[in-house]
Amino acid sequence: MLARIAQELFWLGRNLARAESMSRLLEGVYLADLQGRPEDPSAARLSWDSLTHIMGGRLNGEGRPRSDEVLDALTFDTSDPASVVACVARAREGATTVRDVISTEMWEAINTTYLRMRDGDLSRPVLSGPVALYQHVKERSALFWGLTSRTMLRDEASAFLYAGGRIEAGDMVLRMLRVALPTGRGSGPDDGHAIALLQAVGGLQAYRRAVPAPAHAGPVARFLLFERNYPDSVAAAVDAVNGALRTADARPRNSEPILRLSRLSADLEFRRSAEGDADLGVTCREVQRELGLVDGDIAQRYFGGARAA
Amino acid sequence: MSDVEIARSQDAYCPARGFYDELFDGDGTARPHAAALAAALAALGPEQLAAAGRRRDTIFVEQGITFDTAGDDGPTLERPFPLDLVPRILPATEWTHIKRGVAQRIRALNRFVDDVYHAREIVRAGIVPWRLVVSRSHFARAAHGIRPPGGVYCHVAGCDLVRDYDGSWKVLEDNVRVPSGISYVLENRVAMTRLVPGLFTDYHVRPVDHYPQLLLAALRAVAPAAEGEATVVVWTPGPLNSAYFEHAFLARQMGVELVEASDLVVRDDVVYMRTTHGLQRVHAVYRRLDDDFIDPLEFRPDSALGVPGLMRAYRAGTVALANAVGTGVADDKAIYHWVPEMIRFYLGEEPLLENVTTYLMSDPEAMEAALRRMDELVFKPTGESGGKGVFIGPATDPIELAGLADVIRRSPEKWIAQELVSLSTVPTADENGNLAPRHVDLRPFAVYGETISIVPGGLSRVALIEGSMIVNSSRGGGSKDTWVLENGEDHSDSAVPARPESLPPTLPDLRYGAWTGQVQQQQQ
Repeated sequence: MLARIAQELFWLGRNLARAESMSRLLEGVYLADLQGRPEDPSAARLSWDSLTHIMGGRLNGEGRPRSDEVLDALTFDTSDPASVVACVARAREGATTVRDVISTEMWEAINTTYLRMRDGDLSRPVLSGPVALYQHVKERSALFWGLTSRTMLRDEASAFLYAGGRIEAGDMVLRMLRVALPTGRGSGPDDGHAIALLQAVGGLQAYRRAVPAPAHAGPVARFLLFERNYPDSVAAAVDAVNGALRTADARPRNSEPILRLSRLSADLEFRRSAEGDADLGVTCREVQRELGLVDGDIAQRYFGGARAA
Repeated sequence: MSDVEIARSQDAYCPARGFYDELFDGDGTARPHAAALAAALAALGPEQLAAAGRRRDTIFVEQGITFDTAGDDGPTLERPFPLDLVPRILPATEWTHIKRGVAQRIRALNRFVDDVYHAREIVRAGIVPWRLVVSRSHFARAAHGIRPPGGVYCHVAGCDLVRDYDGSWKVLEDNVRVPSGISYVLENRVAMTRLVPGLFTDYHVRPVDHYPQLLLAALRAVAPAAEGEATVVVWTPGPLNSAYFEHAFLARQMGVELVEASDLVVRDDVVYMRTTHGLQRVHAVYRRLDDDFIDPLEFRPDSALGVPGLMRAYRAGTVALANAVGTGVADDKAIYHWVPEMIRFYLGEEPLLENVTTYLMSDPEAMEAALRRMDELVFKPTGESGGKGVFIGPATDPIELAGLADVIRRSPEKWIAQELVSLSTVPTADENGNLAPRHVDLRPFAVYGETISIVPGGLSRVALIEGSMIVNSSRGGGSKDTWVLENGEDHSDSAVPARPESLPPTLPDLRYGAWTGQVQQQQQ
């Protein structure tokens, strides 16, 4: 297939996954912010302040941003490329380009998502705050991926779409982990934040069923990093990207990104069995760097050298 | 929103005379801690509040958060759990007082249960008559001599508190069998943050969502198993039980199995559950049914809900039951009368929370005195819960009261009389979003594992009918989200949170896809 189309599909997946992750994260912070977290006030990690760090330190430098400014910028601001609205708009643009490749139902799902957001009946309802918008994006995202698995041929095209969605999900989980749950500080348990984070990504029940330990920072970080059975974990994302690329690549054994992903996958498994939570922070950093390299490799190998900007 | 408008909408609410209103004082101005809430409510206005109420009903029905109410003619109706959107606020100091008082009470009750089934010191000391203890319907002979791990009997407890006309807190009854309602506390908070987040703006409310973890930790702490290996289950009578929603909720939140009697089996005094991988040992059971039904071999032989042999396993110490067998004796309304004495006797402390003045009908003098002023008192059967069989003197027909007097004379030990408490009021929204005073009570939930922990707040139940003081959800009561505030520091300035000691790591920038292949080709 055309390199350009493959690249569009990959970024369609990424943009949609980013819109969903952003919505979950913003909703999590918004709801956590409504209530106090008395357990460890000094470790107020899942906060508006940390959000700017998650997005790569933007908005910094001009003093501490006010919470409603961050919320507004990251939700509604069309000129901010990281905002939920902008992600959805980009996804729709991409979907327009590849309209002939994806199924009609998928296209309609994205298009209506965008139109309902643009027409504004969701933005800033006075009473319920921005939650309605986050809910909308979450639901529509689930609809899109559901339709993809029902109506799209499992060919190269869908492989790149999935690969994009999964690599973005893994990257966002790593960002949340690194900022919201910095481990190895040796401080008391910041339960509140670990629970809030799990609730934000929608994995609280999965965690409770899978892990006997209470939801402290350490076990939660391990769960979100290593638990392959949990679909939104970093390990599961790495495996999914790997699997998708293998279907797309004619010669997977020569493929840089696939080799890198396989190594990363095995590496995660090794680290999982390591004792102690002390170097989880290091693990997060290294895994994220590796994912960045994978992204570059993918662009190099499949998109004819088109670099991610 | 102009000041005039705020003033007008506050004028619209007038606290009922003779009762303590928790948000507004006598002349209709908001109490200091409630001023911001009053302003936020006024800014919302009745229409928005009513709209939020309709959304709430839809969401609750969709999520299956419902409660069965008994209709007048028998059939039960499933309706959305009635959450009132006006929260109830407890300042930090008030909450600290309540928390200490409830914890003190639970400690004393726990000691009492232990005492009743062992040395009976309080009976020997002549404080509580033994005749009264053994005649309680929930006294469990089978529990005699069994001491559960850690000496904890009342793992899960809730006290019903009310506020009298002067604002003082009093205990109305103790629930140490299977108090229910905690799931609504958690769901109410989730719903409030989604439906009316604007009300939270000026407050720092303590979260409640760690309750399932507290409960799980307590159950693990008392389970006879090695650290981290205990299998905990929630035992429900089944989906037909009115509190099934709560059973499923707790099991889901704790990540443990929700079992029914047919899932459990006892072999050689050890409890197992049937799984796809064969029998699996169970170490702790959070049971949501009464003693009477748990083991047909020891209690009611006709119980189809029970597990034969469970008491044998319990006696052998291979399984922990929460709450322990026999706690019902401390739940009894006649025993309630002695709780302040228990606190003095067992703990050597003065009770922090008062009882409502109570007369035992088993005392002939007290009975005659009470029967003479039946139209002023409240009469309650001792062994019931959920407001069943309660007669409120002033609100009851004299002919019915005469009939009640006969019943009490025939079995006086089954009845108590209490002074009428003027329950405090909190503004409550009606269908159209207008506020009116309605009576409330408060049930804080305590979990007793290694220590006693109490979730901030608890279930505030509210009588939705004007003037009514019956708050039970089975009798048409609703509930309110209960906010316990952080300590008094100024928290309106949320833009400056405490700076974390170490800055989070700087993360790589977000990437954006851009098709540059063509450009590169041309450059080459």
